[in-house]
Amino acid sequence: MLMPKRVKHRKQHRGKMNGKAKGGTTIAFGEYGLQAVEASWITSRQIEAARIAMTRYMKRGGKVWIKIFPDKPYTAKPLEVRMGSGKGAPEGWVAVVKPGKIMFEIAGVSEEVAREALRLASHKLPVKTKFVKREEIGGEINEG
Amino acid sequence: MAIKLKADERSDLKRSNTKKIRQAGNIPAVVYGNNKKVKTISVNSIDLLKTVRDEGKNAIISLEVGGESVDVMLHEYQTEPLRDELVHADFYVVNMSQEMDVQVTIHLDGESPGVNDGGVLQQPLHELSVRAKPGDIPEEIKVDISKLDVGDSITVSDLKSGSKYEILEDEETTIVTILAPDRGTTEDEEGEEEEQAEEVQKENEEEQKAE
Repeated sequence: MLMPKRVKHRKQHRGKMNGKAKGGTTIAFGEYGLQAVEASWITSRQIEAARIAMTRYMKRGGKVWIKIFPDKPYTAKPLEVRMGSGKGAPEGWVAVVKPGKIMFEIAGVSEEVAREALRLASHKLPVKTKFVKREEIGGEINEG
Repeated sequence: MAIKLKADERSDLKRSNTKKIRQAGNIPAVVYGNNKKVKTISVNSIDLLKTVRDEGKNAIISLEVGGESVDVMLHEYQTEPLRDELVHADFYVVNMSQEMDVQVTIHLDGESPGVNDGGVLQQPLHELSVRAKPGDIPEEIKVDISKLDVGDSITVSDLKSGSKYEILEDEETTIVTILAPDRGTTEDEEGEEEEQAEEVQKENEEEQKAE
């Protein structure tokens, strides 16, 4: 699963997820993409599950790009522990995703295959998503 | 021949006015270049989209602003990523006798035998940097992939520069390549899934011990 090799600080503040994505809002590598419509934390397990769902459906064809990286640690307290006594232990890694972010890209497969693969991947994610295509301005309008 | 597009001059640059312009189905835009005075304008978003769709991104547009007509090209545009709507456009006043650098879309032509054999078509380059006079800019550059087999690729050096335009891209840049089908993917996946399952089991055991 994806995680940083080394970090400066083990625990981070939770932060806010206001606004829209600043970058990564256009298709850069592939032909089709999965764009987040909501903001959420995406865990490394969810990213991996989505990747497996996509590659399994696409079988041997095509190429997948994962454009988000879980670089933020999240913590959790053990079960049945009273509040207080400091922050919990690091539990996993998340990527902070804001509306507009293209999370996955696909190339080398037909549109129908890409659409279905990304639909399967979207079911592994905690955000509403939409399918997007690489189009020039004035090209075919993206569908939701 | 240039396509006509009507535009209104925009003098009130307040955000409240810009919002009203967008609500009315227009977009704010700016015209500059060729030592002309910068003009702030607004154009109909749908008209602009139709023009670009019909004539291409690098088409020469005859922009009518306040009774005056100027030949421009769409230089830059901004879109709202979620709604995929135009937000703002930049028009560049062109000098028909002066060469300029533009990005031209690459269009893959034909069906590759390599893809039919199970290869994966990968296109790292979607636009080419081209230098030409505004009237000679091609709408798109066609790349014939009908002879590409698995493992073959087309680079910029394989393209023939048109007599009217010059390709500025590095000659070794790959435009399209046919990758061999990846036969090990499914096994990798299964292996990874097993590892994942093992990890989850270990974690569950640790949790139970902690309890």
